[in-house]
Amino acid sequence: METNFSKGDAGLGEEPRSRKPPQHQTLTDAHAPTGDDKLLYAMPFSAKDLQRYRKDEKFNHRLMTPEERIKLLKPYLPSPPSRDGARRASLSQVSREERKGKLGVRRFLRRHFHIFVYALIHFYFSIYIRLRQAYHAIGNRLYTVYHHHHHSPELIQRDIKDLSRLPKHLSVILTLEDQGRSGAGLEKLVNEAADIAAWCASIGISQLSIYEKTGILKGYVKETHQTISQRLQTYFGPSFPSVSLGAPHIPPIQSGLLSLSNSPNNDNRKNISILLISAEDGRDSIVDLTKTLAEMSQRKKLQAADITTELVDAELSESVMEEPDLLVLFSPFVELAGYPPWQIRLTEIFHVPDNQGVGYQVFCRALCKFAKAQMRMGR
Amino acid sequence: MSDLYLSRIRNWFLSSPPAEWAINRLRETLIGSLSQGPIPGHVAFEMDGNRRYARSHKIETVEGHHLGFEALARVLEICYKCGVKVVTVYAFSLENFHRPKYEVDGLMQLAKVKLEQLIQHGELLDRYGASVRVLGRLDLIPPDVLEVVERAVAATSHNTTCVLNICFPYTSREEMTTAIRTTVEEYSTTPRPHSTPFSQSRITQKILSKQGDKPEGLDSIEETPSQSDDHDQDDAVSTATTLHSDPSTQKSEGSEKVAIYPNAETITPETIDKHLYTSGCPPLDIFVRTSGVERLSDFMLWQCHQDTHIFFLKCFWPEFDLWHFLPVLVEWQHRQKQKQREEKPRRVKQA
Repeated sequence: METNFSKGDAGLGEEPRSRKPPQHQTLTDAHAPTGDDKLLYAMPFSAKDLQRYRKDEKFNHRLMTPEERIKLLKPYLPSPPSRDGARRASLSQVSREERKGKLGVRRFLRRHFHIFVYALIHFYFSIYIRLRQAYHAIGNRLYTVYHHHHHSPELIQRDIKDLSRLPKHLSVILTLEDQGRSGAGLEKLVNEAADIAAWCASIGISQLSIYEKTGILKGYVKETHQTISQRLQTYFGPSFPSVSLGAPHIPPIQSGLLSLSNSPNNDNRKNISILLISAEDGRDSIVDLTKTLAEMSQRKKLQAADITTELVDAELSESVMEEPDLLVLFSPFVELAGYPPWQIRLTEIFHVPDNQGVGYQVFCRALCKFAKAQMRMGR
Repeated sequence: MSDLYLSRIRNWFLSSPPAEWAINRLRETLIGSLSQGPIPGHVAFEMDGNRRYARSHKIETVEGHHLGFEALARVLEICYKCGVKVVTVYAFSLENFHRPKYEVDGLMQLAKVKLEQLIQHGELLDRYGASVRVLGRLDLIPPDVLEVVERAVAATSHNTTCVLNICFPYTSREEMTTAIRTTVEEYSTTPRPHSTPFSQSRITQKILSKQGDKPEGLDSIEETPSQSDDHDQDDAVSTATTLHSDPSTQKSEGSEKVAIYPNAETITPETIDKHLYTSGCPPLDIFVRTSGVERLSDFMLWQCHQDTHIFFLKCFWPEFDLWHFLPVLVEWQHRQKQKQREEKPRRVKQA
């Protein structure tokens, strides 16, 4: 696709260089109607004024004098608040009270009309959103029934076998359900992490990062690792892939020797390394880096000019993680909840509207979407 | 054929004065109504899809950018009428310099012409009370455009009601790096010495002499007042010169070192915030990206990664209008209300 675009641009590129303004005029005129169709009624401008404005624009604004343009725009501008007040003051001699009362009533009525419309909009919107949620819930349900993994790597592989590319580094955002009490919420979290790890291992994604805002999983690395290993065992049987589970500044726990010795034909492709990250790896890590750099600069070990994007990037990818290719959200809408800002630059963000909870269908659809997306890098 | 006629008739109808009047009334009503609810303080737009729009409508790329500018004007009008304080738009990325030269030049010329117009009708933005700021690597802007940019910023700087941030050669990573660099610079430069008529050494001397003065002075009064005066003076001088001299100078050196370099441990996320291009702006509430691409693409990363509501819309930017922005705004208001509702019972429980 990228080559396609560049070809298109190059094709266009030959034209304009040789073109002179009048020619430009005819060319755009010939095509303009197709472009204008939609916009004519979308503008707050009236069609006649819009045409005048565009004609002027085509001649690089030499057609109209600034005064004419102001005249054109004036009816569309809001009245300046200060002038309004001044005019009222000057007019007020004769019928000050009457006028004031009238204006007051009018404003009062308009305000209440607006409040009424606002309430109406939100009333209908809340109905609409319920319907939408129900519709999406049914759709998601059907998708789940149709594509179920049945804890089998083969079925998961079948779901993604037509995809042109897969992310090398996948990232997910999980949320801790109950605040404070780390009982059921934590268990649910660990289970979700284990499921996602198993799906990733099934399709051969070697790098997974799990973001959870509070970082509670970092305190249970060992237990989480155990759960993940068990989950992989249920998926793959005795020769399950090895797992390394770590976090920034916490040395990773490698999968037990047992699994390695038990599986001589274990192919390397399926080994998976998992990183647990939390809110402290986001802004705080950047702040920590700044502190270190400031101290170095104070001791004259570093010039401020040495701080470049490359340096910061190298440091942050070394100490936290590298940019993931795909970020999967299981929340009903896109909210990053403190995900590391530096690393999310070009990451494809996927969410299923109105989705509730972690599900295989979200994961599967994210991969399908990712295979279709393309990078342009500003070109 | 009938489709064509239908769309012609529809266009004719919609561009007829009564229909136009009615649509504008409707717009006004909707904007006025929405401003009754919670209003975001800061909205960011990633204006994506100008070129794809141009391609799909078979018009030139530059023409697409022109239509994109019209969309921007519409959106700004809606935002400021609703009462949004700050609007940030992504006009030009550092990566965009990799585009074909004629397109880069076209975009630069577009910016120049539009900003020149803005200066010509200064009252236009005054009506909204809006000031223009340009964020990014200003040193990469061609000099003729930069001159216009600076004039436009200066011409509108007196407005305080709302702000239009134009990100022009901008990437978020560059912004963060610059913020880190300026923070480091701030923490590794000496604060300028105060030029007060009070000298610190004199004050310390006085304190020291008083400390030396008091107990011995009291003692000496009882003994012999005439002698004590001389003795005191000697004592004071001696304390200042010999006894306390070494530790005091050491101390002052030590304290100076602390004063020269503020403690790096006091750097917080807020410190970085202050050094970003968007310092002083309210936190970002809504982030909108058009054209169906679901990436942030190096825009407002630091600002939008916490509780900003991010919307990825399918439409191309030149098509963007009230009818696309309205659902976004209403949904945001809806979520805001929901959040409040969720927080209330929690507060009650806590109480």
